[in-house]
Amino acid sequence: MVDYFAIGLTHLLLALAAWRLVLRRDLDRDPEAEETQGEPPRA
Amino acid sequence: MLDLFLFGFVAGLLALAMRRPFIAVLAYLYVDIVAPQKISYFLLASLPISLIVFVAAFGGWLMADDKRDARFTWRQGLLVVLLLYCGATTLTADFPVEAAAKWAWVWKALLFAIFLPLTLRTRLRLEGALLFMVLSAGSIIITGGIKTLATGGGYGALHFFVSDNTGLYEGSIISCVAVAIIPLIAWLARFGTVFAPSRAVRLFAGALIFSCLLIPVGTQARTGLLCIALLGILTLRTVRHRMLYLGAAGALAVIAVPFLPDSFTKRMDTIENHEADQSASTRLAVWGWTLDYVKDHPLGGGFDAYRSNKLVIKTQDAETEGNTTSIDSATITDQGRAFHSSYFEMLGEQGWPGLFLWLLLQVSGLWQMERLRSRWRKRAAGPDAGPQVQWQAPLANALQQAQVVYLLGSAFVGIAFQPFILMLIGLQCGLWSYLRRTDAPTARPVRRGVTVGPRPPQATAAAPPA
Repeated sequence: MVDYFAIGLTHLLLALAAWRLVLRRDLDRDPEAEETQGEPPRA
Repeated sequence: MLDLFLFGFVAGLLALAMRRPFIAVLAYLYVDIVAPQKISYFLLASLPISLIVFVAAFGGWLMADDKRDARFTWRQGLLVVLLLYCGATTLTADFPVEAAAKWAWVWKALLFAIFLPLTLRTRLRLEGALLFMVLSAGSIIITGGIKTLATGGGYGALHFFVSDNTGLYEGSIISCVAVAIIPLIAWLARFGTVFAPSRAVRLFAGALIFSCLLIPVGTQARTGLLCIALLGILTLRTVRHRMLYLGAAGALAVIAVPFLPDSFTKRMDTIENHEADQSASTRLAVWGWTLDYVKDHPLGGGFDAYRSNKLVIKTQDAETEGNTTSIDSATITDQGRAFHSSYFEMLGEQGWPGLFLWLLLQVSGLWQMERLRSRWRKRAAGPDAGPQVQWQAPLANALQQAQVVYLLGSAFVGIAFQPFILMLIGLQCGLWSYLRRTDAPTARPVRRGVTVGPRPPQATAAAPPA
């Protein structure tokens, strides 16, 4: 019973995490990094 | 039913990987940590699932992923050298059959650790990998935690999904890993974006950390207790209110002791009185044997070289009743005892060069994380520091703390090539490479005449001084 609970809970969270990751554009492209790189350098 | 569920889960991940290849990398992390093929009876158990997922991860990266930002760091090079060296010692091993069996999983773990950083190109990928590692290990830890609460556990008596003493399912190993990931759980709860900070996230993270702390109690692995103590000390470095923290930790320890099972406190007592404990005395004898062994075999004896040891162990047990102390001495002979320490495992199996390479890999990780931590702490404290520069130093710190805990735990357990730890090293390489790349324009001030385009990090970093 405990085993099933632990497997169920963590796999649910893993599945939800995978789903949310797939929907996010910044998984493959980092807007933050591109912004930083695009900034003019500070003197 | 469970079979179908696990099969569906892995198949679902691979289906998502068709859209985003990086999901296959996460699927490999999951398969390697949880080993669903061992929990399963038929569906997954009959498939070479680990191989399938690795091919999907590597193939997906090779064919569909952007490789412009992928960097090969020198620590990955170190892993390659270690891989080649271990391959060479396997060819000349003392016990070729047993050595080949260990080599069969070590090379895969090393290869994945070399590959992983190449895929960690974005902040979200770093977080995703960390989240998958923590939740996958969490599936074992939550079971162990609840069972400990219900039964009190016992040395070798706490059963996880499988009664298999491999991977993370071995008591001492899961104890060390469970404590090592506590800082990573805390980081995810604070800076996570997949599961953004909320009351539910904090509650889950708190419960998971509590479970992690229960694992050493449940498995009664003394190593785990030492790891908890060390983590407690390490936390002092970053905690905001030190005195409050010290008081709370002390109070918690005092409150916890009466609730610990009797068998646990008795076993922990043997940390002080190790002469009475056969397991501890055997360790000391094996380590002595290893030092003698490498005098004749400085290049190591290949995997499982410990099998040739023959040990004579003397134990002394002092018992005091009133004014009299009686000492029971016993002599035990033993042979083929494992190293019970990653340092001696490396020394005995891979000799001095192997131990040196492994130590260099570990120490360079501590150093890199320290550098990242200090650089990004300054950045985060700057006058115009936004939320985008707050997560880096704590992540470097969490990865460093996890490694320090592992380095203590591994002194008493032979986990030099534990895949989970190699993944952590892969994450360190990924973070190092990512921050060096994204940090290049501002960390190294560009002097006159050099313009920075939308994607020329190397050009700026390598710009000659004017």
